[in-house]
Amino acid sequence: MIKVEDLTVKIGNNVILNDISLEIPHGHWTCLVGPNGAGKTTFLKVLLGVREYSGSLQDNGVEVYRNHKRNVAFVPQNPEIPTGMTVAEYVALGRSKVDGWGNETIASRKFIHDVLVQTQLYGMHQRHVAQLSGGEMQRALIARALAQEPQLILLDEPTSALDLHHQISVLNNIEMLKSRGVTVISTMHDITLAAMYAERIVVMQSGKALLDGKASEVIHSAELRTAFDNRINVYTLDSGRPVIVASKDDSTN
Amino acid sequence: MFNKSKSPGIGQIWNWKITAACALILLFVCTLAISFGPIHLGFVDIVKTLLGAGGLSGQDRTVLIDLRLPRMILAALVGAALATSGAVYQTVFRNPLADPYLLGAASGAGLGATIAITNSGGNIYGWLPIFSFVGATLAVMTSFFISGKFFAEPNTLLLSGIAVGSFATAVQTYLQQRHSNALRPVYNWILGELTVANWSIVSWSSIYILSSILVLVTISKKLDGLLLSDEESFSLGIDPNKLRMIAVAAATLATATAVSASGLIGFVGIVVPHLVRGVTHRVTNRSLATIALVGAAFLVLADLGARTILSPAELPIGVITAFVGAPFFLFVLRTRRVSHS
Repeated sequence: MIKVEDLTVKIGNNVILNDISLEIPHGHWTCLVGPNGAGKTTFLKVLLGVREYSGSLQDNGVEVYRNHKRNVAFVPQNPEIPTGMTVAEYVALGRSKVDGWGNETIASRKFIHDVLVQTQLYGMHQRHVAQLSGGEMQRALIARALAQEPQLILLDEPTSALDLHHQISVLNNIEMLKSRGVTVISTMHDITLAAMYAERIVVMQSGKALLDGKASEVIHSAELRTAFDNRINVYTLDSGRPVIVASKDDSTN
Repeated sequence: MFNKSKSPGIGQIWNWKITAACALILLFVCTLAISFGPIHLGFVDIVKTLLGAGGLSGQDRTVLIDLRLPRMILAALVGAALATSGAVYQTVFRNPLADPYLLGAASGAGLGATIAITNSGGNIYGWLPIFSFVGATLAVMTSFFISGKFFAEPNTLLLSGIAVGSFATAVQTYLQQRHSNALRPVYNWILGELTVANWSIVSWSSIYILSSILVLVTISKKLDGLLLSDEESFSLGIDPNKLRMIAVAAATLATATAVSASGLIGFVGIVVPHLVRGVTHRVTNRSLATIALVGAAFLVLADLGARTILSPAELPIGVITAFVGAPFFLFVLRTRRVSHS
């Protein structure tokens, strides 16, 4: 269980996260949704342990700040792409925490090989990461996370800037991680996709967590509409699946 | 472990045979360097002398022991220091065009050397290494100080390095203007020279340079993590700020020592890392030991050229390295542009 209590993050005088308290259960996929500037990415970085905070954020009873004992994978929205590094080398970096830097075992090399096959990167594993398309790069990031065998994976907008085909492929890869017992926490701008894949949703606005709970309940809540200034409509398809679309501004009518 | 054919086919990340081959190349180049010159020394005699089993005597022995050997070792040390520091700076700043003088080390050392030359009456070379070492270290420390928080933003540090460098160069130019008799020695020093090499310089510079390289090679595998964003490297078990601090401190110590022992020798820090990475098609810092060996071989060879091309006159070694380095630099720029388009 990840327990967040009175969590506040400030940069200078700007309050980025404002007094957040919630609990995130392990073994599930939790999605942070909210408009740009709500503090979702900062929340992910705090969960990773790289950002200072006041209040408390405990993962299985241990404060997360600068805690290197947890094995947490991080998939950024805009990764630093190392010039000249091959896909295989890039994915192999994921083993650093397990084997120690640069000391991949034969078993690890086998594991990396399997991960490359699973993420359909085998065959292009000797290409440079700088030459990958957006969708392939995203898969390489997921592959590195898979190689890391983490307890928790944090993903910042894993499907942004991807076409529908690649969105589904990436989301299926994340589901594969979850099926191995990995806790998944992601941000996602597409709430329809969030509702389709995530089991829990946290609605954020202006640094506050307005609501958290089961995806099916949160999606129909007033808080979700509030977070987006009532500019979204939620429809339910015949299959029972919710679809969230932007609504036209009423004041202009 | 990586070379076993049974391991699954994901390609080798680094082949240590390359490192071993480069060590042999360095040994060969060093042998050439102590054999050739205005006075030719036979290989067998050299080996005998070094083993203490007779061999050379008289003037030949002096040439070998007091002139060529310290000079060859100093060239190797300086080459290794500059190449390794260059490679490390390129990783830390995620900038393939970064060189060891990036944070003001060159200009700081230049200013220190100019102060030594303009103020010392007779014994210039006694004070010069100390002044340039202090100048280089102070300049880099000032860059750190100005950029505020350590590595909060690598680009800020880079920019403050440029500012400190410009300031030091301005003061140096002013001093040179006031002491026109110092122009020539300062100019010679800026072009780099190994003619002053002696056992005393070799002994103190080897301590700093070898220990810096040892630190850098020890952390070389981890340095690959700095090619990623700070969040990613943290998630892979690295403390990026701490690692960068150690890397830059060791690289700066090596650079400052190299500069104070031999003046400003350009392009080694850019040419050699790119050469090794280009030829092996590997960007990993596991190549750092190899880069050190190739840097050493490159400068020993360049110094051999400097001594023999216009023999008995000498070319400044900086001329040779720049002559090879500048076209190569353009080549790197061009291939970079091609790979990005």
